Amino acid sequence: MPRVFITGLGFITSIGNDAASVASSLRELRHGFELYPPFQKPDIACKVVGTVKGFSTDSADPEDWTWPGAYSIKRETIRSMAPHGLYVHCAFIQALADARLQEAEVSNRFTGLYAASGGSPMLTYYHHERMLRLGPARCSPLGIVASIVGTLNFNLVAAFKIQGASCGFSSACASSAHAMAYAFDDISLGRQKRMFVAAGEDGNFSAILPFVGMRTLSLQSDPNLASRPFDAARDGFVGTGGGVVLVLESEDEVARRGVTPYCEILGWGQASDGYNVAISHPDGTGSRSAMENALAASRISAAQVDYVNAHATSTLIGDVSEARALKAVFGEMGIRPAISSTKALTGHGLSLAGAMEVGFCALMMRGGFTSGSAHISKLDQACEGLNILRATREEAPRVVMKNSSGFGGANVALLLRRN
Amino acid sequence: MSDPVQSNPSANKALTLATKPFAPDDEAALREALKRCSPSTFEAAVQFRKTGNADHMPAVVIGVIERFVEPDLRSKLKDADDDLRLIEDLGIDSLTMMEIVILVEDVLQLSINNDELRNLRTVGDVKTFIDCKIRGLPLPRPTKFLPIELIGAVMPVQPPFLFLNEASVSSTGANGKYKITGQEFFLQGHFKDNPVMPASIMLEALGQLAVLFLLEGASTEPGKVIGSNTIFFTGCEGVRAHRMCKPGDILTLSIKPKRMKMPLATFEGAIRVGQEKAVIAEDITLTFAYVESAVAPAAINGAAQPAPEGDNSANPPLRVAINA
Repeated sequence: MPRVFITGLGFITSIGNDAASVASSLRELRHGFELYPPFQKPDIACKVVGTVKGFSTDSADPEDWTWPGAYSIKRETIRSMAPHGLYVHCAFIQALADARLQEAEVSNRFTGLYAASGGSPMLTYYHHERMLRLGPARCSPLGIVASIVGTLNFNLVAAFKIQGASCGFSSACASSAHAMAYAFDDISLGRQKRMFVAAGEDGNFSAILPFVGMRTLSLQSDPNLASRPFDAARDGFVGTGGGVVLVLESEDEVARRGVTPYCEILGWGQASDGYNVAISHPDGTGSRSAMENALAASRISAAQVDYVNAHATSTLIGDVSEARALKAVFGEMGIRPAISSTKALTGHGLSLAGAMEVGFCALMMRGGFTSGSAHISKLDQACEGLNILRATREEAPRVVMKNSSGFGGANVALLLRRN
Repeated sequence: MSDPVQSNPSANKALTLATKPFAPDDEAALREALKRCSPSTFEAAVQFRKTGNADHMPAVVIGVIERFVEPDLRSKLKDADDDLRLIEDLGIDSLTMMEIVILVEDVLQLSINNDELRNLRTVGDVKTFIDCKIRGLPLPRPTKFLPIELIGAVMPVQPPFLFLNEASVSSTGANGKYKITGQEFFLQGHFKDNPVMPASIMLEALGQLAVLFLLEGASTEPGKVIGSNTIFFTGCEGVRAHRMCKPGDILTLSIKPKRMKMPLATFEGAIRVGQEKAVIAEDITLTFAYVESAVAPAAINGAAQPAPEGDNSANPPLRVAINA
């Protein structure tokens, strides 16, 4: 089976709009939170968001948007996008340059694209309201492809002339981990030589506020305290949006093109809780099985893993559930890999999270550091015994486990290895 | 998913212009709708809405089209003739056409049936179409585009003496293109070691376009059909050649009927190469006759009988391609 490597990255995130600034935010534990202006109203309890900077996408009309001048995008291309479509499009341009890919290498039947998106609640509402008010004949012909969950794959495949496999994945906060996983499979099964994994979320008013109804958001008004996975005083997650693109290539392509990959993807595993539509199993049974399946599929022992980038979103139940799963996989054998949640810096990117955090791990492996788990002042008792990094370690991890979990109790674990 | 562009029979009725007075609120809404159009487009729309005067309509329609054309192509629209093609020349796809229609409907307060759009291929088609809608006139026959296969199927002239590669025919005239390949048999001798397209052949090409117009575009007496083997050249006047045409040149031909009365039809014709004048003919006159039987003409003459719903073989409809 061909080995699979990550050879290119692109980021539009709350902690930076390119690989270099993201890497320095991760290393220096600089968060991307702000008091989000649309939330600063008495009747909105949630105040803090991991905001995307340098873009303006508040309007439902893409022609009103602004973005950094380095990216040239035509009206014809942007008119069918959701806000996160713009973020991911920019990240895609970065990833192409980073991987040094030429047009013919992007557009051929052995190069595909898997995407993960939560769709655009803002645009869904905008177009639906217009349809009810003005009638269907006055609806934008592109309202559907801009709004629904497949919007990323539709737009990117057309914009970048992708001719290989394409599909969108929908497992909520595990979506982009699933996209990574199946992109890995397509290359290791020899179906594709190269895959783009693209993930994005609007991370705006309409995308984040509904989580208030679930009582899962942090209500902290201090941006420095709102997201603190594994801390005893955590009170929910902080929402974020953005876009990330990763380039995955077979070992033959890596050798042929003579590029230096960030890291290898060793394999992955998944398992489900079979428990509750929205609440993690208290003992993290699905997460534990996903990690064990990933280790077995990758022919790696738990002892070889020296860093876990946790799913931990800073919710009360979720963080403890994952901590118990980590203890079951590693702690019971006396193995203590370093653990951190970079969501303490970015917030929770939902469909974007898994791929974004795989990208972060790739940056750590190349940059020679392991990002700490920020904002912990008092560790939750349930996490005692785990080696949760409180500060950045100036040493690259060698084998990384990346956990992701989504609604319905879907759990994915991916294993990465430094070259 | 089903095709979302469905016909709406009620929209086929003649347009009734909004009769209510133009209020300040309407002006604000109009300003918002046209915020990405030129100020003159907005002004024309205001004047149209206030007075209902259709003379303001072309400025509105062209202003709306311009707003949806990529900036680097807008200059083409500035000095466009009515033959400028929406798809081929301006890069407007069927989705953009829908956006244009929705905005025009909104601004001019009219409603356009999707089926009426399928044959709007040039800027002139769009202007004529909207004008007819506003004045309550019957819609003109659409411009028909004929690739070489269809031209060959209807013309009495055949290769190697057919000098049209493609053509479009409307009720007001015809346009065509011919690329001089250099392989034309007569260029071996015209001239020795110096191939130049004979002026007589260029005149022939204009005549062929006029024949195509008679067969595909001309309005005839009801029930009468012009026989393709009845058309012959009778004379021409005011012919001037302005430019030598050589292999590699693409001739852009156009003819317009000046007079038509059985058995004579007179046209004016012109050939350009790019923006340069090549040949002008003030009068080209052909004779023609009707065939006895009033049998419907060949299938491509869709103008004589309405194309059945869904028969789009000659003119692909303006429909949004749906993969969903």
